Amino acid sequence: MTPTPPGLRAHQLRVGYGSRTVLSDLSVTLPTGAFTAIIGPNGCGKSTLLKSLGRAIVPRAGAVTLDGTDLASLRPKVIARRLALLPQDPIAPDTIRVRDLVARGRHPYHSLLRQWAPGDTEAVDRALAETGVTHLADRFVSELSGGQRQRAWVALVLAQDTDYVLLDEPTSFLDISHQIDLLHRCQDMRSAGKTVVAVLHDLNQAARYADHLVVMHEGAIVAEGTPADVLSADLVREVFALPAEITIDPQSGSPLIVPLARV
Amino acid sequence: MSAAPHLESPVAAAAPALAGRRAPRLFRIGPGIALPVHPRALIWSGIVLVGLIVAAVLTLSMGKLGIAPQSLPAALFDPPRGAAGFTLTTLRGPRLLVAIGVGAALGISGALFQIVTRNPLGSPDVIGLGAGAGAGVAICGLLWPGVLPTPAGALLGAMLAITIVYLSTGRGFAAPARIIIAGIGVSAMAHAVTQYVVSVKLRDEASQLAGYLAGSINSVGWGAVGIIAITLALCLPAAWALSPSLNQIALGDSLAHSLGIRVTATRTAAIIVAVVAAAGAVTVAGPISFVALTAPQIAQRLTRSPALSLGLSALLGALILVVADLLAQQAPWARGLPVGILTAGVGGIYLGALLIREWRKGRL
Repeated sequence: MTPTPPGLRAHQLRVGYGSRTVLSDLSVTLPTGAFTAIIGPNGCGKSTLLKSLGRAIVPRAGAVTLDGTDLASLRPKVIARRLALLPQDPIAPDTIRVRDLVARGRHPYHSLLRQWAPGDTEAVDRALAETGVTHLADRFVSELSGGQRQRAWVALVLAQDTDYVLLDEPTSFLDISHQIDLLHRCQDMRSAGKTVVAVLHDLNQAARYADHLVVMHEGAIVAEGTPADVLSADLVREVFALPAEITIDPQSGSPLIVPLARV
Repeated sequence: MSAAPHLESPVAAAAPALAGRRAPRLFRIGPGIALPVHPRALIWSGIVLVGLIVAAVLTLSMGKLGIAPQSLPAALFDPPRGAAGFTLTTLRGPRLLVAIGVGAALGISGALFQIVTRNPLGSPDVIGLGAGAGAGVAICGLLWPGVLPTPAGALLGAMLAITIVYLSTGRGFAAPARIIIAGIGVSAMAHAVTQYVVSVKLRDEASQLAGYLAGSINSVGWGAVGIIAITLALCLPAAWALSPSLNQIALGDSLAHSLGIRVTATRTAAIIVAVVAAAGAVTVAGPISFVALTAPQIAQRLTRSPALSLGLSALLGALILVVADLLAQQAPWARGLPVGILTAGVGGIYLGALLIREWRKGRL
């Protein structure tokens, strides 16, 4: 086998549920140290790809490698120290406080007899501060607003202290201001040296905030690259079935998709 | 993350930050051992333990044949002769130990079921274990008497029920909601079997088994003490070892997986431990209802902790069963009743009171 370059890569993945195949023969390399957005229409397999990259789904064929090592050959706890995945539907137990929830992110560093490790307190404090929820640390998670709660979940993932952070539709169900706030957190994580991969629904948010786009259609990757390179009127029409004009975002200079007026 | 709009509870919102500690209190031995200690759980465990000791002393000392509390310590090491000694070593002693052991096993079993199914109604009763044991008892005791001893029938019935549940979910123990639904179905079928057996047999023959069907420890011996002691020796350490992973699974399967948990393996192991604990209890006492459901619920409300409270659940299970059995032995209105009928009363009333309190506080 040829030496594989560093980073998170999928090699000829085949993934399915039951008799349905969602991804077949899919290969992708996620740029290290960048914020990558996976976009595509509903049902294109983007969440499935993200979960496969995070080993939440075991592929039927192919492999996911992290710095050249097949994830299938690593113990789950070892993977969990390098790669975190925030699913769409995590559950906050009743009566859990924000600090305790965030501290759950330290589990990969614990053992049966050592359920608190040196550095845990600092990691949890840092995660709370970086997501701006320090003032909520002693509140019950059930009392928080949707935006605050999503920040608490991101704090849990930060406390996990991994180089790779995968987020499955992190902006769903959030108000627009909280969506933008969350995308800023993704950029901050990227600036702190992490590789961030998120499934996003909103094309313009992906174009503006991500460094790299992976565009999926019917279980395959149809384009990847910087937003400026990837997004074209043709691609948006073919993949998303949306006639649109691509202009320039006046704030950031990134591509801005504007649907065409009805004639 | 939940999309549902959230109603803020004014009471809870107005009383934030009782805790405020940045790190948990730790129980440390050298650099290798650091276990978080939950003060509320410890305090309540102490209180319940004292209650259990009081109930145990009452059990051994009340009534005509009882041994006075002040002479109990000596009597435990050197049993007196005569009727009092016979009461201690043959009648009440094993019965008390079985009550403690069965209650603890049911408490552990229920705690595991509830965290695994993420459902406060998850318990060996709900998933058909008790009903299966009952059907096994009915078949072995009435339909084909003499083929197998009744406790073996209970164990086989329980195991058969759980096997059917495992097979009928289609995904083993990986789908918590399906476990409960399948369990309810299996329970109903097992009850039907029991009722069929009871109704085709003569009423008086059936009434001999009525006690065992409701769960009874009226006539247990040292063999039963041994069975439940072995059950606890196996299940308690196993449940404790699984508990950190189970607490993570409470965050949802995907997130637990991302935190390095082998979700399906952990869940399957927890259900096996829970079934073994409940089966041990069922084997010596029949299907005692409500203890496995109530003890962990009460424990969780007392500790107010989102984490599994195994020790307190076990202690509470033991306390409920010992108090219920004390009533069965001493209260004039309850004398001779199968203890399983009383556990439903003792545990059910307390759970009801707690639920009403929580409801008033707006926490439910």
